[in-house]
Amino acid sequence: MKKIFIILLVAAASSTTYAQSLTALQYSMGFGTGDLSDFIGKPSFRGFTIDYRNLVQPNVGVGFDLGWHAFYEAKASDVYTIGNLSYSGKQYRYNNQFPLLFAADYYMQPGESVNPFVGFGVGTMYSLRNTDMGQYSLKEDAWNFAIRPEVGILYEANPGMSFMVTGKYYYGFEAGDLPAQGYFTLNFGFVFTK
Amino acid sequence: MISKNKLAILVAGVCMLLFGCYPQGPEFTEDLDVVLTHFQDDYDFESKNTYARPNAIVKITGNLQEGDDPEFIPDAAAALILAQIDKNMEALGWDKVDVSANPDVLLAVASWETTTIFYYYDYWYWWYGGYYPGWGYPAYGGSYTTGTLFMTMIDPEEVGANGNAILQWTGGVNGILTGSYDATRVNKGIDQAFSQSPYLKIN
Repeated sequence: MKKIFIILLVAAASSTTYAQSLTALQYSMGFGTGDLSDFIGKPSFRGFTIDYRNLVQPNVGVGFDLGWHAFYEAKASDVYTIGNLSYSGKQYRYNNQFPLLFAADYYMQPGESVNPFVGFGVGTMYSLRNTDMGQYSLKEDAWNFAIRPEVGILYEANPGMSFMVTGKYYYGFEAGDLPAQGYFTLNFGFVFTK
Repeated sequence: MISKNKLAILVAGVCMLLFGCYPQGPEFTEDLDVVLTHFQDDYDFESKNTYARPNAIVKITGNLQEGDDPEFIPDAAAALILAQIDKNMEALGWDKVDVSANPDVLLAVASWETTTIFYYYDYWYWWYGGYYPGWGYPAYGGSYTTGTLFMTMIDPEEVGANGNAILQWTGGVNGILTGSYDATRVNKGIDQAFSQSPYLKIN
C-alpha cells in the first residue's frame, strides 16, 4: 500500500506536463457491505463525491476523491441483550463516511466522446457511527486506512462539459472503535474539464 | 469550462440540499421510550412463589437519610401502574401477599424525574461570556422532563456483603414525560419490562 501511495504522490507532483484536468461533482447512492450492512441494512441516498484529476498523460489522471455518504436506518422497536442486561426500544442508526483519497484513473479511449475508465484510490476514510436510543447516544468513530477501486464512463456532451457514471467500492480497514467498513457506491454527475 | 466561483456555489448548493434532508430520527415522544432490565443470574427465581409490594410509588427525590420526607406520585396514577405490575406478575405465576406474610420477594416501585434545561444560546458563550459580560446571559430555550419508573425485586433473606439488599431483578421504564399521564404508554413499558424477563416466569 505504501508503494501505491508513493506512486500516486509522484504522479501528482509530475502533473504539470499536461494542462488538462477534470473536476467531477457526483451524486452518490451507497450500499453497505459487511459490518456496515449488518448495522444499517438500508442503502444510502444521501451522498456526494468531488473528484479532481490532473491528466499527467492523455490516458492517466491523478488527483483526489472526497466524499460524504450518510447511511441511516430507524430500527423497529427491539430487545438487545448483553449478558444479563436487556434493553429495548427504537434505535436510530447513523453511519457517516467521509473518504479522503488520492486517486488515479486510467482512461481507455481518451479523446473519444465515450471514454470508459478504471481507477484506484488510497488514503483515509473517517467513519462516524451514532446509535441513538431514547435520550442516549453511542458514538463510535475511526480513521480507517482506505482503498477504493473504481470503474466508470465519461461521456462528453460538449467541449468542457461531460457526464460521468461510476461505480466505486470503498473499503476502510479496521481502526479506532470500528471493524472494517465497506460499501459500494453508484455515482452520476457532471464533469468540468479545462 | 466553469469558473471556480460557480463550482463553489454548485458544491455548496448540493451540500445544503443533502444536509437539508439529513435524517432527523424520532418523530414522537414515545419513540424515545426505553425499557431496561437486569437480573442476577445466580438467583433461583423458579423456587419462589410470593411477592409483596407497597401500595404507593415513592419519588426518588431529596435525601431521606437527612430527614427529608418521602414524596409519592398521585394515588390514582400509582394505582394504575401497580395494577399493571400485578397483572404481569400474576401472569408469570406469582402470588401477591401482604408484607407480613413472609413473602419470598419484595417488589418496590419508585419513580425518578429529572428536568433538563436547554438553551438555544450561542454555545461560544462559555468562552467569550466572561470577557464581554455586557453581552448578556444566554437566552432560555426550554426544558424537558424525563421520567423513569423503577421496579426492583429483592429477597429479604439475601443481603450483600455491604449489608444492603441485592437487587435480584430491576426493570426500568424511561421516557420523556408529557403533561398528562399516558396510561397506554406506561402500561406498554411495564409489559415490555416483564416480557423481556422470561426468567421471572415460575409457573
